[in-house]
Amino acid sequence: MGAVTYPDEKVVKFVDYNFVPVQIETSNTALVEQFKVKWTPAIFVLDADGNEVHQVVGFLPPEEFIPTFMVAKGKWYFNADQHPEAQGMFDEALRGYPESAAAAEAVFFLGVSRYKMSHNPKPLREAYETLIAKFPGSEWAKRAAPYRLIPA
Amino acid sequence: MALNICWLNDLAKAKDSARQTKKPVLLDFFNPQ
Repeated sequence: MGAVTYPDEKVVKFVDYNFVPVQIETSNTALVEQFKVKWTPAIFVLDADGNEVHQVVGFLPPEEFIPTFMVAKGKWYFNADQHPEAQGMFDEALRGYPESAAAAEAVFFLGVSRYKMSHNPKPLREAYETLIAKFPGSEWAKRAAPYRLIPA
Repeated sequence: MALNICWLNDLAKAKDSARQTKKPVLLDFFNPQ
């Protein structure tokens, strides 16, 4: 990550704008044990109280790093019930990086966030249909499977 | 001039900053070797 992804100009700007970045060496055994880190790179998104929002293990190139952490920031907004902001992040990930591995998760949470804001289940059904059409093999298509029962 | 991420190295300070700036913390564990 330090050789390829973190020096990337888009990644630098994205991280600076969206996060408070902190880097901890694996020699810090107290934090390694607290977060149960067994392999690096291990990247966590936390809220200000230290609650974990998202976790990624393994290398991500810039074109995957940015949408992955757009979705993570969307989940941070989602957890705080800030749904318009959450949907903005999920939308941005989908528009900017539609082929990324994070796109299916963005579709899933976009549907769930729209449902939570409107109490109308139609966005859940729409998320399911989008996932089946565009990401049929993804774990998110499987997680959305119950939404197929919602009337269109 | 090269751009760099301005990493903090103290999680407690990062959480304080997150509270003040209303941003989430990005915590990266790395092995320097």
